[in-house]
Amino acid sequence: MTPIRRIISAARGPRKWVLVAAVAAGAAGCSLELTNPNAPTEETVVSDLDGVLAVAVGMQDQFAQTIDDYMVTNSLVTDEWGTRTASLIAYQSLLTGDNFDDSYLVVLTPWARSYSVIKSANTVLAGADQIGTGSALRAGTVALARLFKAMSYGMLIQQYEQVPIAVTTEGSLPQPRAIVLDTIFALLESARAEIASVSDADLAGFRTRVAGTGFDLRNTIDAMLARYYLIAGRYNDAITAANRVSPTILSVLAYPDPTVNPVQNLAFGLNYVAGLNSFVTQAEAGDLRPAYWLNTTTAGPAGNPVDTALRFLRKYSTRNESFPLYLPDEMKLIKAEAFARTSRPAEALVLINEVRTQTSSPLDEPVAGLPPIVLVTQAEMLAEIARQRRYELYEQGLRWEDTRRFGTALTTTPTLSFLPIPQQECDVNPANPCG
Amino acid sequence: MGSRRFLSFLSVALLVFPAFASAQETGTIQGRVADATGAPVASAQIRVEGTTLGAMTGADGTYRIGGVPAGVHTISTRRVGYAPERATVTASAGGTITQDFTLRAAAVTLNEVVVTGVAAPTTKRQLGNTIETVSGEQVARAPGVSSIDQALQGRVTGAVVSENSGQPGGGISIRLRGTNSILGGAEPLYVIDGVIVDNSSEALVALSGNAPRGNQALSNRMADFDPGDVERIEVLKGAAAAALYGARANNGVIQIFTKRGQAGRPSVAAATDVTWSKTPKRYDLNMHPNAGFQDVAFGGAPAFGAPIQRFDIQDQIFRTGLGTNTRLSISGGNEGTTYYLGGGYQKEEGIVRPTEYDRTNVRANLSQRLSDQFEVGLRGNYINSTNDFIPEGEQTQGVLTSVVFTPTSVNPAFNPNTGRYPYNPLLGANPLDVIENWSAPEKVTRILGGFDLTWRPLTSVSLKYAAGLDDYRREANYFQPPFSTSATFTGSIQNPVQFSRLFNNDLTASHAWTPRQSLGLNSSVGFRFTSDKNETVRAAGANLGPGQTLVGGATQTATQSKTELRTVGWYIEERVNLAERLYLTGGLNWDASSAFGPDERVQMFPRLGLSYVLDRESRGTSGLGSMLSSFRLRAAYGETGGQPPGIYSRFANYENTSFSGRPGLVSSITAGNPNLKPERQREYEGGFDVGFFDERALVEFSYYDKRTNDLVLSIPLPPSSGFSQQFQNIGSLTNKGVELALNTVNLASERFAWRSRFTYSANRSKVAKLVTAADTLLFDYLNAIIVGQPVGVFLGGTYARTPDGQIAYRDFTTGGQTYLLPYRQQDTLASGAIVNSRRIIGDPNPKFVATFGNDFDIGERIQLSVLLDGRFGNDVANFSRRIQELFGAAKVNEREISGDTVNRTFSGNPTGRSLIYEEYIEDGSYVKLREIALQFTLPPGIVSRFGADRASLRLAGRNLKTWTDYSGLDPETNTFSASTVSRGVEFATTPIPKQFIIGLSFNY
Repeated sequence: MTPIRRIISAARGPRKWVLVAAVAAGAAGCSLELTNPNAPTEETVVSDLDGVLAVAVGMQDQFAQTIDDYMVTNSLVTDEWGTRTASLIAYQSLLTGDNFDDSYLVVLTPWARSYSVIKSANTVLAGADQIGTGSALRAGTVALARLFKAMSYGMLIQQYEQVPIAVTTEGSLPQPRAIVLDTIFALLESARAEIASVSDADLAGFRTRVAGTGFDLRNTIDAMLARYYLIAGRYNDAITAANRVSPTILSVLAYPDPTVNPVQNLAFGLNYVAGLNSFVTQAEAGDLRPAYWLNTTTAGPAGNPVDTALRFLRKYSTRNESFPLYLPDEMKLIKAEAFARTSRPAEALVLINEVRTQTSSPLDEPVAGLPPIVLVTQAEMLAEIARQRRYELYEQGLRWEDTRRFGTALTTTPTLSFLPIPQQECDVNPANPCG
Repeated sequence: MGSRRFLSFLSVALLVFPAFASAQETGTIQGRVADATGAPVASAQIRVEGTTLGAMTGADGTYRIGGVPAGVHTISTRRVGYAPERATVTASAGGTITQDFTLRAAAVTLNEVVVTGVAAPTTKRQLGNTIETVSGEQVARAPGVSSIDQALQGRVTGAVVSENSGQPGGGISIRLRGTNSILGGAEPLYVIDGVIVDNSSEALVALSGNAPRGNQALSNRMADFDPGDVERIEVLKGAAAAALYGARANNGVIQIFTKRGQAGRPSVAAATDVTWSKTPKRYDLNMHPNAGFQDVAFGGAPAFGAPIQRFDIQDQIFRTGLGTNTRLSISGGNEGTTYYLGGGYQKEEGIVRPTEYDRTNVRANLSQRLSDQFEVGLRGNYINSTNDFIPEGEQTQGVLTSVVFTPTSVNPAFNPNTGRYPYNPLLGANPLDVIENWSAPEKVTRILGGFDLTWRPLTSVSLKYAAGLDDYRREANYFQPPFSTSATFTGSIQNPVQFSRLFNNDLTASHAWTPRQSLGLNSSVGFRFTSDKNETVRAAGANLGPGQTLVGGATQTATQSKTELRTVGWYIEERVNLAERLYLTGGLNWDASSAFGPDERVQMFPRLGLSYVLDRESRGTSGLGSMLSSFRLRAAYGETGGQPPGIYSRFANYENTSFSGRPGLVSSITAGNPNLKPERQREYEGGFDVGFFDERALVEFSYYDKRTNDLVLSIPLPPSSGFSQQFQNIGSLTNKGVELALNTVNLASERFAWRSRFTYSANRSKVAKLVTAADTLLFDYLNAIIVGQPVGVFLGGTYARTPDGQIAYRDFTTGGQTYLLPYRQQDTLASGAIVNSRRIIGDPNPKFVATFGNDFDIGERIQLSVLLDGRFGNDVANFSRRIQELFGAAKVNEREISGDTVNRTFSGNPTGRSLIYEEYIEDGSYVKLREIALQFTLPPGIVSRFGADRASLRLAGRNLKTWTDYSGLDPETNTFSASTVSRGVEFATTPIPKQFIIGLSFNY
């Protein structure tokens, strides 16, 4: 008998169980394809209806949690906010324009967070087939993803001169703002088309499952179209879009617990910023709006630099306060500006005076309570529109872009024209975006 | 892996085995092993060469081996501390032959049997790499040691063994041949009786370093095991030796074997120790009768220079800690069954109130011979421990932290008028309140179980199956009473519970074959499966009501996390023995891990060893002279792997979020990397061992060269991708060094015997590659990873200096007085910008470590052992002193109060010099009198009155004396505990206590 046979025969005998037990125990549970029980992976998420919807919810949260990043640059480089003693050097540098450094986190954050939103929107759009084809839930979710993607590109071009459109680790080159604006219009128009034939009643499921409380999809799409058509100089399109926006609806980002309004956290949690007192002192006598935006009754906090006179915020002074995605009067001012710039002064003046003379609103929006005004020249009109935009649309992240459109008509010059491309993007984007 | 595939693998492996020797009839060999004086030698290993048969001698020195095939055999005996002997015997079918041995003392023998790192047991002489062994007797000689890793201090060449904190049960960090990772762990892999055991040091609650800084606990889980159960420890220091452990062995392997019973009458050992622990040093505080700047700012002093009262509360913090350690073990058995039962209870009070550690443990090791072919073993170990910690280090609630941070003009004594301890004007808590009313216990319940089955179908073939389980539950309960730190603090309870279960499953087959007398072949194949499951549930409560000590209160939170790591490994190994002279070992290891994606999952790790020996054992030589009695040359190469940080890094993970009250998911900003693979180390090792004077002196020398590539680092991604970073295999670092050990039997007469062991080792680490050459990765305070520099050098602000290198001073005026103060070095960049510069200001890695141990046997009854343990050329960042000086609590602050206006350590302008760290980097070199022990064996007349066979009394000390220039409490401790990179930082860490021990032991 050969030795091998001897072993085999030994194993075949009553002792067979030894080998069998050993091998069985060895092979048991040998699978090495383990999943992560702490977090779902992208594969799981995009191949599941509820996963795709959860990303759509997460996308809105990402956007909602980044509005303070847009605000920091927008409000500090213009004449909206000042820095408090606790603020970071980078914030003070945005305010004063001194010692600005490309490596500051304030340069990176609006960029990085916008692309996180866009990436989530892309994930939702890629996984949209998981949602029943032809359903209102699918139409609403797709339109929502396109809207948030468009809003993120829109926020990006208000901060950076050129931005990449493709979202990839392979590296994509920044595109001029005209091309980015075309992308925004394409997204918004297709978002609008997606839900054009869906009734509001059919969208009820979308509203309870995906969209945030107090958010209005149709009006927000139209408001964004109006906002960006104006920026692109497509005035007639801006007027058409603005006309579709209901003046009696507010569309907001809500912050119920455990979330916190990030602007409130910035101003009252971190104590980094407060409103500039010049916003109050430079207002037209009798304007009710400074007291809507800022606390004009108690003394403001100390500023850094020390000569910065500040006021505490009034709006966004509580944790769970919601943030409006646009204000109804922005539509009036968009139309007024479009009329003024297309030589239709009479129509412009009517709208300006509607904004000036509003004394009350059922919505949580500022009212001016000012007397009507008579304006003749286009320059006068644009200057008045710029001023109304300053007081009506305070800390909405629009002031920086206004300085580009109105130029000398404004009383302020931003300390920076745009943010530079963030250092990390320059360093590690394989497409070498910084040359 | 399917079982069918494994079966076919196994059968192929068995097919390659050469023809088996045939044996039909068997006999028995028995005998007695004694030393030169005729005293029995227990635990000597007897082997029938060319077979897997063997036995151990019992307490009476006798042995018996059954089932020996009839014919001529060479049998050999080996025992630590003695030269090996061999004899030729002829076994006859059914007969019993007697073969006795007499052993001679030797320094260290190359013939010591080792198990770790090879598929089947072998001797040191056969391996191309070094394996350090520490015997149970040596462990037992270490006084005041409460954990196995602590017992290795000063006993392993090339190991840097540090006690991270002096709190009882405080953690131990071991670096074998340097640090081999950056983001991964640096502690070796621990294996007990073939079962990989968990040695995690993850903090459940932050009690020393803060959570973001590596999240290291004050203790590591090796603390659970009783060193009294140890039979032998084997230490593998690098890839060349540890390749068998494949993808987990980059930091080396420490394998521990526990005691087994031996055939013979029951042997009972009882021992008890009493320990007194004291702090080796106290802080030197500012006791100036007049107020300084910080006394005005925080101590309520009216003005600089005003007379004030000062308080040194160290008497209320430090104490003499009392400890007891009691052990009882019974072992014995017969030819078929052997058993070892051990149990112990240890209680140790720390030197800082109210820290205390207690541990109860029991162990049972059973072995049963089922037949000539089958043997089964069963092991179980149950441990239950409670560790009452206090916060220290970075924790603002830390007791020593408070001493360091608070000016001595602050009186923390209980105030009967307010009914509470006064709030600390600077920091989180009043240290006396923390001692009195806070608690931070950690409880561990652990079960270690093992089962193995050995089958020897033929004398030359052995198959072994082993399964092991390491299961524990660890629970922390950190209670901060309401209103203890401020009038608005409403209390906090953190109650995290961790469950860990590690399962091992091993199957090994080996075959020994001696085709010719001068050629031995040993082939092995093996399979290993491990599953490592971990779950942590963290419950916490805040806004507590009075008297509430469990999670509750108005605000409650809970989180849960769960991980599982599985690995599968296969290995083959071939050992060739040419005339007991030239040995070759080659092996391949395939390891697969669930942490890696399918493309990189299976990794192959090769190894090769060569050993050439000339000594009495070698054949074909007449032997060397008695002057130069043995000579060995060795060389080895091996590769191993290291686990990446985070076992789910290969996935694109999503995280939970919430918007408008709806649950949502967002992509992690860390991109998954499906191509992640283990960090891979390769090591070359070479050296020689030379024995002199009939093996009474042995010199061992090794040189090694390690390079760890594919180090996992966090790489930034373009933010336009929606991601921020990704873990990638990018970096590499090297460790090179030498190790020298000199073992001598200086005197070996019956009346006086003296053995010495001197070791020296030096390691140089260097970061070879990061993402870009200009990268600097900064960890925690000062430790940095810089290309071209050792791992973890200190990078920090320096003094501005005059052109001739002297510290430059500037005027600074405060309180009407002008002081001359140093200021921080600044540099002008090419752009013209002026920046605060950082320089490399120190290196926490020792230039070399050395130990010197001496054991004396004076007459028959007295044994004295002394162990010196030293570390040289390492820097320590003394953050305790830095903070003390900034807050005016240091002795040196007395100078500025006395009117010294030229001052490097000025507390009146903390911000002006707060970023100058140069001042606080100190030489941390030390020599510690690690152990001194005097043992008296009681005269038989007294002993027999207790009915005992032997009894001894021991007087011992641990860390009784430290020689160092370091100005802080202890240069050995580390605030960041077991951190890989952040080392050599001493910040309000409990020093390692001085311990006095009296012990009594009985053997029945």
